[in-house]
Amino acid sequence: MAYGRQGPRIKEKEHALVEGIDLPGHWNRMFETRVITDYDPGTLDEITALPGGESLGWCYQCAKCVGVCPVDIVGDYGPRKIHRDVLRGISLLDDPNLWLCTTCSNCLRVCPKEVDMIQIMPAAREAAINAGKDIPAELQKVFEAADRYGNPMGENPRKRADWVKQAGVPVPIMAQVKRPVDVLWYVGSYPSYHPRGMDAARALARIFHALGVDFAILGVEEKEDGDSIRLAGEKGLFEKLAEANIKTFARYRFTRLVVFGPHELNAFKNEYPKLGGEYAVQHYTQFLVEHLDRLKALMVHPVDRVVTYHDPCYLSRHNGEYEAPRTLLRAIPGLTLVEMPRNRENGYCCGGGGGGMWLDGFSRDHTTMRLSDKRVMEAAETGARTLSICCPYEVSRFEDAVKATGNDGRLDVQDIAELVDRSIGAPERG
Amino acid sequence: MSSDTLLIIGGGPAGLEAARGAADLGCKTILVERLSRLGGTPISANYAALTHGMRDASEVMGEMIAAVDGDPLVDIRLNTSVTACSGAAGDFSVTLTRGGTDETVSVGAVIVATGFEHFDPGRANQQYGYYMYDDVLTLQDAEKMLKEKNFVRPSTGKPPERVCFIQCVGSRDRRIGNEYCSKVCCGVASKQAIEIRQLLPNCRVFIFYIDMRMYGYWENEIYWPAQEKYKVSYIKGVISEIVMKGDRLMIRGEDTTMNRPMEVPMDIVILSNGMEPSGGTKAIATTLGLRQNTYGFINVAHDTLDPVSTSVPGVFVAGAAAGPKDLDDTMGMAGAATMKAVGAIRRMARGAAIKA
Repeated sequence: MAYGRQGPRIKEKEHALVEGIDLPGHWNRMFETRVITDYDPGTLDEITALPGGESLGWCYQCAKCVGVCPVDIVGDYGPRKIHRDVLRGISLLDDPNLWLCTTCSNCLRVCPKEVDMIQIMPAAREAAINAGKDIPAELQKVFEAADRYGNPMGENPRKRADWVKQAGVPVPIMAQVKRPVDVLWYVGSYPSYHPRGMDAARALARIFHALGVDFAILGVEEKEDGDSIRLAGEKGLFEKLAEANIKTFARYRFTRLVVFGPHELNAFKNEYPKLGGEYAVQHYTQFLVEHLDRLKALMVHPVDRVVTYHDPCYLSRHNGEYEAPRTLLRAIPGLTLVEMPRNRENGYCCGGGGGGMWLDGFSRDHTTMRLSDKRVMEAAETGARTLSICCPYEVSRFEDAVKATGNDGRLDVQDIAELVDRSIGAPERG
Repeated sequence: MSSDTLLIIGGGPAGLEAARGAADLGCKTILVERLSRLGGTPISANYAALTHGMRDASEVMGEMIAAVDGDPLVDIRLNTSVTACSGAAGDFSVTLTRGGTDETVSVGAVIVATGFEHFDPGRANQQYGYYMYDDVLTLQDAEKMLKEKNFVRPSTGKPPERVCFIQCVGSRDRRIGNEYCSKVCCGVASKQAIEIRQLLPNCRVFIFYIDMRMYGYWENEIYWPAQEKYKVSYIKGVISEIVMKGDRLMIRGEDTTMNRPMEVPMDIVILSNGMEPSGGTKAIATTLGLRQNTYGFINVAHDTLDPVSTSVPGVFVAGAAAGPKDLDDTMGMAGAATMKAVGAIRRMARGAAIKA
């Protein structure tokens, strides 16, 4: 329930019969009683008792979080307000606000009390699931698909590596290589199945090939990393997926794991070690920057366009990488990089993290605009022709948003891998 | 053999008041100042008016300096640092370094008055863009312009139409590591807000805050007049984003009492940056072996019952070297530290006399 001002609410009947006397219209007008706030700290205790939920009780209401919360910009949300709601007896477990946080971490960046929504939200969501509360149906569907098929879209797991057929270069599969490799490339669910994700995957395969990288992928053995599923509250399912992936990794020898997506980076770097899976892991932009000199020699075709760059939350704020993607973009001949006003540490979330990827329908009912729409408007305002990305969640979100905001034909969305690939010599797409 | 001399380190308000007090009690004093002039931060950081009374800072500090300058009992050493110390209460042997030359003096007690420095807003997590936007200032930047009676937007040189203060920058912040309240910023911001309104009656002034913390005269002389007479707008909710919109600063935050988001264009944003221990305070704590708190301020024996004794007998502390203090705290501490230090010297001398 939203709080704030309560205007007078009038009750008026056309006719009211009081002790036999007819009182028409405004003669019988009455006002509804205002809602008087009661305080039941039990609902705060319910959250702070959860492992990870403790810091919700530390909020001192400074409101710095609200100023930088991407969801508040398109709605009425914010950690400070959640603390206030919970303090006055509204259970977070029953509140739609439980599912709006994208765990983008911008609130934690500015929070002077270190109220950590990245811990609080998954813990509260898990508690809601365990308590049998109603969870958004679209999210439930994703949990079931990931459990059954090993990817959140419910695609056929046997087709996970079908994208390699159109790569134009050989993409070795680990099970067939039968020797240690330098790079085990964990492709991820979206680049394996989403049409535009596959474009980017093929581009990266061609870049690896051009650089002569000794790499292989897991192919059909690969499963969803599960990090966003964990953040959406299904910790058990995350652990199941992680254990399966850890077991698969254990069968092979490789020097490092290179991932396409920031969510996978976060999973393998920060979460899998807790379950016994420790790897040297890099985001593909970090890996490519290490080969910048050779890459520069290969990038011979100018990409003459003004490009802006969107910092993925899980690459930037969560894992501290701001420069590798920018270094790659600046190295592409002809390309001009312009920044959106909200960039780097204050980058605006695309809405896809923390389960948001699978809650668009739910979010639509509780916000005025999708976060991705807002972000695309910011990108368009820079005058850039291309919005560049390096998180596989973003291409579908931003391409939809380009259409929804009427920027079709004015702005396109390209993975950094696609831009690098084009400069090396791939023909222009479309 | 005990020394009858008191060493005071730091020539700001605390050190000057301690030296005056010690001289009044007939105690020989060496007053050491690292810089080439006395007066401390109010002078070196260009403070305009000092509370209470809003008198000119140079005038007030000038009187404090005059009270000790020329006093035969006060030996003033400028451009001098304390670089080594041995011995114990009653008989410290202290090395004073000036321009590469060392001199060792014998002193009976020490008062540390090495003060604070202003928090560097470049360390904040909120990206207030202090080093990026010309019109984002600190309290000290604003104070300097107010002292010159020329309060303008640095980017244009023209008087601002809208100015705001953002409170608690670098204070009460676990992420930055400064959990303490810097105590004076609410009052100083409100004081500056009044001064801006006096200089520029058409300029609107806003203060965005978490809690306003002003006690004693700060409440009656500063807070109430700021709101009632000078129409300063106090808004509960701290700004966390500043971006450029056209040639103005657009600030973003939330009015928490109304549960409403705010986006307000501003000509100048002043960051109410708090206090941190000065480099001199941290260095002297090491030289004298004084226990420091987590933040680097000098620990005192008891925060209420003995706010001037340090972990080393015979060494006392006054002013912001021991944590954020306003001027009235500083004066009170200077008096208490002088009383204890001179008392210690006299007691030692009596003890020595008895033994002899």
